[in-house]
Amino acid sequence: MATVITVTSGKGGVGKSTTTANVATALALRGKKVVAVDFDIGLRNLDMILGLENRIVYDVVDVMEERCNLAQAIIKDKRTQNLHFLPASQTKDKTVLNKEKVEKLINDLKKDFDYILIDSPAGIESGFEHSIFLADRALVVTTPEVSAIRDADRVIGIIDAKSKKAQNGEEVDKHIIINRIKPELVERGEMLPIEDVLDLLSLPLIGIVPDDEDIVKSTNLGKPIALDEKSLVGEAFRRIAKRIEGEDVPFIDLKAKKGFFNKLKGFFK
Amino acid sequence: MSFLDIFKKKKSKDVAKDRLMMMLAYERANTKVDNLDEMKTELINVVKKYLKVKDINIKTSSNQDIETLEVEIVLQK
Repeated sequence: MATVITVTSGKGGVGKSTTTANVATALALRGKKVVAVDFDIGLRNLDMILGLENRIVYDVVDVMEERCNLAQAIIKDKRTQNLHFLPASQTKDKTVLNKEKVEKLINDLKKDFDYILIDSPAGIESGFEHSIFLADRALVVTTPEVSAIRDADRVIGIIDAKSKKAQNGEEVDKHIIINRIKPELVERGEMLPIEDVLDLLSLPLIGIVPDDEDIVKSTNLGKPIALDEKSLVGEAFRRIAKRIEGEDVPFIDLKAKKGFFNKLKGFFK
Repeated sequence: MSFLDIFKKKKSKDVAKDRLMMMLAYERANTKVDNLDEMKTELINVVKKYLKVKDINIKTSSNQDIETLEVEIVLQK
């Protein structure tokens, strides 16, 4: 049975595409057949994060409008076995999608893949509605900041209203990913700690991801950080994949890394 | 909280949490009904059959165990 996972957030720029790319990569590394689908029509980004921008011929809108078949549009990642990618259209806008076309596409993908990860556009308009419509699970990405949390709460409130699963009396499985945590700031009391974010959003947590310069580097290179075995952020994403698969793994330890100079600074505070 | 903490300034994360708690409670109350406008028009249509209606105001609120939906029907004089 294929699982459709929608990555969403409400607010833009909190790390939806990065999360989609890395969770998809991490699931593929576990031997699952995965396709990451970019639903941000007109503003595609997932291609660059995955490093597959030069291999695009057809896109998701071409498939829906039958200018090509599904197999022609799906890009197989050469670096990560089992990872596939279906790009968003860059020239059209979000209004080209409709429910029937989206449903057909997802149902076709379900026949071939274990996991379908949908990178939802920011906002709560039609693009978001299409990406959540057939979701079995939703990963709500937020950062420990007021605007991201407020938007996440708004999105959480409408996920079920917009999903087919909920129309049939079931519920979409919803989880929080807290991204860009800065342990030093949390320690100083200048950033909301994980517990407070969860208190506010009252949904279960599936991942915590520290803020890390390596993310910028991996995006520059088009190489998802989940492939880097030594990276803590990579590990954070790999653990999210494990939890999606039902494994019970502890959350990564985010104690502030204290170097000698930081300790010294601490004395003078 | 230790004795010394009283003299400390409130941390910004606490301010953030307080502000968010207020805002989320307010927004959740207002988005409880999915199609508020639709419900409003339907209500007006029903009441209109019997009375002359000027406007309808709908408010949701919750205190402790009870959640209420207040419907205020303003009649024409």
